[in-house]
Amino acid sequence: MLTFTLRRLSLFIFTMLLLTLLSFSLSFLFPGDSLINLSGAIYATPNQLIQLNESYQTSSNIFSQYIAYLKHILNADLGLSMASQTQISHEIVNLLPATIELSLVALFIAMLTGIPLGFIAAIKHNKPSDNIILSVSMVGYSIPVFWLGLLAILTFSINLGWLPSAGQISLLFEIKLVTGIQIIDILLSDSPYKWQAFSDATAHIILPACVIAVAPATIFIRLARTSMIEVLNTSYIRAASAKGLSFQQIIFRHAIRNALIKMIRHVGLQFANLVTIAMVTEVIFSWPGIGRWLITSINQRDYTAIQSGLLVLSCFIFVIHILTDFIYAALNPLARGNRHGS
Amino acid sequence: MNLLDIRNLSIELIHNEQSIRAVDKVSLSMKEGEVRGLVGESGSGKSLVAQAIVSVLNDKWHVHADRFHWRGIDLLRLSIPERKAILSRDIAMIFQEPMACLDPTTTIGEQLAEAIDETQLSGFFWQKKQQRLTATIKLLHKVGIKNHSACIKSYPHQLTEALCQRVMIAIALARQPILLIADEPTTAMENTNQEQIFKLLASLNQLKNMAILLISHDLENITHWTNTITVMYSGQFVEAGTTAQIFNKAMHPYTQALVDSSPMANLHLPAKSRLMTLPGSIPILQHLPIGCRLGPRCPRAQQDCVKAPSVSNFHGHKVSCHFPILQNPKLKKTKRA
Amino acid sequence: MARDKIYLEEVFPSPFMQLWLIFRRTPVAMVGFSCFIFLIILAIFAPVLAPHSPIEGQLNMPLLPPAWHIDGDVSYLLGTDELGRDMLSRLMYGTSLTFGLSFIVVIISLVVGVLIGSFSALTTGIKSSFLNHFLDVILSIPSLLLAIIIVAILGPGINNTLWAVVMVLIPQFVHITRYAVKEEFRKDYVLASRLDGASPFRILYYSIFPNIVDRIMSQATLAQSAAILDIATLGFLGLGAQIPLPEWGATLANGLDLFYIAPWTVYLPGLAILFAVVVTNLVGEGIRHALKLRKER
Repeated sequence: MLTFTLRRLSLFIFTMLLLTLLSFSLSFLFPGDSLINLSGAIYATPNQLIQLNESYQTSSNIFSQYIAYLKHILNADLGLSMASQTQISHEIVNLLPATIELSLVALFIAMLTGIPLGFIAAIKHNKPSDNIILSVSMVGYSIPVFWLGLLAILTFSINLGWLPSAGQISLLFEIKLVTGIQIIDILLSDSPYKWQAFSDATAHIILPACVIAVAPATIFIRLARTSMIEVLNTSYIRAASAKGLSFQQIIFRHAIRNALIKMIRHVGLQFANLVTIAMVTEVIFSWPGIGRWLITSINQRDYTAIQSGLLVLSCFIFVIHILTDFIYAALNPLARGNRHGS
Repeated sequence: MNLLDIRNLSIELIHNEQSIRAVDKVSLSMKEGEVRGLVGESGSGKSLVAQAIVSVLNDKWHVHADRFHWRGIDLLRLSIPERKAILSRDIAMIFQEPMACLDPTTTIGEQLAEAIDETQLSGFFWQKKQQRLTATIKLLHKVGIKNHSACIKSYPHQLTEALCQRVMIAIALARQPILLIADEPTTAMENTNQEQIFKLLASLNQLKNMAILLISHDLENITHWTNTITVMYSGQFVEAGTTAQIFNKAMHPYTQALVDSSPMANLHLPAKSRLMTLPGSIPILQHLPIGCRLGPRCPRAQQDCVKAPSVSNFHGHKVSCHFPILQNPKLKKTKRA
Repeated sequence: MARDKIYLEEVFPSPFMQLWLIFRRTPVAMVGFSCFIFLIILAIFAPVLAPHSPIEGQLNMPLLPPAWHIDGDVSYLLGTDELGRDMLSRLMYGTSLTFGLSFIVVIISLVVGVLIGSFSALTTGIKSSFLNHFLDVILSIPSLLLAIIIVAILGPGINNTLWAVVMVLIPQFVHITRYAVKEEFRKDYVLASRLDGASPFRILYYSIFPNIVDRIMSQATLAQSAAILDIATLGFLGLGAQIPLPEWGATLANGLDLFYIAPWTVYLPGLAILFAVVVTNLVGEGIRHALKLRKER
């Protein structure tokens, strides 16, 4: 287990360095002065400019400029946003939890719907229900997410009036900011309207989370189906049925565990896809998350914000990948790699 | 009374309106406490026959039989779940690669405990757990695994093949079967381990009077351990009889060739001379010969061999050939079986 | 006297022909394929087939509903938008923009990606491990994010969208080519060619490429559906095609303000995108299904 952790850690550090290199190079690729792109101080006085030049080491060679940039990042200084002139790190800390909340809820919904449907499709392989599930999943995979979001708003918010269409929570509620994740904050606060706030926040999160969950759910359906079909064809399932176990016992006790293990790696890899879709959905539903902020920054040509936003988002996704690797190793005895004879 | 009586078992694969007969009218019968060997090359359909008996075949195989009796009960008249219930209670099967037949994500102890019959336990459920544990340990001891605690906690990939095969036998014994079908149990092991597994099977046969159907492609190995042998070729029944009859007085050209090709029989040949074999190889499923499937390769083949031969019985020694090798040409056929 | 053939002659079609024969027998895949061809024809011949101009509108006919509505007009079959532009013509021109562009994008990134991938598969050692890690990092950044960044660098506009999506798709092709070539290299028939003394390029061209073509084709359809969605999303976000180009995503964004009074301006482009992606996915699924069946034989 130790070598596994060390290997993953080294991969993590290497990737982080590569990502920072990428975002550093962006400051030169974006139009405009590279120093201004890095720091975001478009209204700086000449004195401040001199200070900035010092701290970002613009007079020395590229390598020390890169080191200076790294130092700034490790001090949690991502510069000022060109549009709002506030510290980017503050804005990110406020916005990132909302995106995390939305993505995690969407991932959860996608797993809860996609994986059982995929298993059912595999068990009824080559029968009509299998084909129906596959066709529905193909249509779900092909729908452009912004169109789906608009249709969802039209049906559920406007025509039926069941669910709200914008924001994270109704403005009437004042919830103290603790973690930034609304649901947890509501449960932690001691406001007298706790449960109303909770139901309101839930109503706000359901529609965007479901819209985001559609495309990953279809991918999960396909993944679960493939891995379950593979598992059902193995010798040990045949041996178990010869052992006398009933079909239900075989599925629930052996097949599901093995099929889940086979596909859990891919579930983690889908998270990147999910965050992308979440970005577009945040725009449509005016969800106060990092995706919407990033897209607004791009429209406003706020290069510092774009740079830092890219860095933070990619780091976040990569951390999730590594976590999934760990979970996979924890669940799967084979991946742990200790062998001993009898 | 016969334990198992199967007559004219056929297994077909229907593929794009073509039906391929993988197993063509094979008959098999077993008595109580008998150790029968089912011998044939790979591709002869012996595993298919075994899997058809235990009913674990895929839906794509179609199984017919004229007669399928188990301990006097006619199984063809029962519905499939009833048939499966009776068969899984009395027949157990062990497979070729034991490690692949165990769930890699569950411990051995759990897999053994699953196989133990619920009805044999009694009491509240924590007592049942303890009883399951004792039953598991007893089963492991029965197959010769002395340090059971390490075995129970380990996963299949942490054990050797021979040990996994013993575990498979233990799982098979959990239901106290009357017939144990062993589908090439030792093909994936070295010779020393093979000896041990066969000895274990022989002792189980003697102590518990458990009948064993031993499937293998190695005729010579089998002859030490079996009472009777059935030979199959390319899905067809070839010959059946006691071990001595098959080995010493083979009547079918194929059986003769099998016996001739074993190392013992070739000892008398001078050095650097050709070993005795039949030319050619087993036909593939897409191009099966009509009639007797050994026809193209058989040294004694004649015009009549394009029709499928029927089974002739010479004092319990059954053979399916138009021109069997008769040691004594005046041997009278007892009855057409 | 002519002799009839007594023995059944075995015809062994090439792997590609086998694939095509199996593909032809799947009805769903053939429907998808014919729609795909239809879209390609539409993309090429849109200027000839469209009834009206997509850019100049009749300002006296704004916001007409589609022809099956009471207020609709048959000459504007799918209605008009707020500037009086005919939706049908806009959608048809949009085919050449969204669909046609995605096709070109896939071809460019396929060629470049396969070249880079096969070259990198031939190298071994530190260079290849570095490339491997680099590719992993690039592939872990979501494709839309990467496209957005590239557009942010280059500026908005449909040409830059093309380059952005090309640069996003290339790593995918590199990865899959690299993987496939490495896998084929381990097989014995390549070993036989190497023992014969064939140069790596010869091995690549004659032995390996014919065997990996089908995997690359299936990846190409996946890439195309992703490209259509990316181009449309970029258009929707205002980063891709600029007004007045009738790209489907941009048309949809255009209709957002009028969503409640003229919902067809939002429905129709969305349906067009959905149709194109479903058709591409059907073709892709057909290829993958045929690949699987061919392997089983």
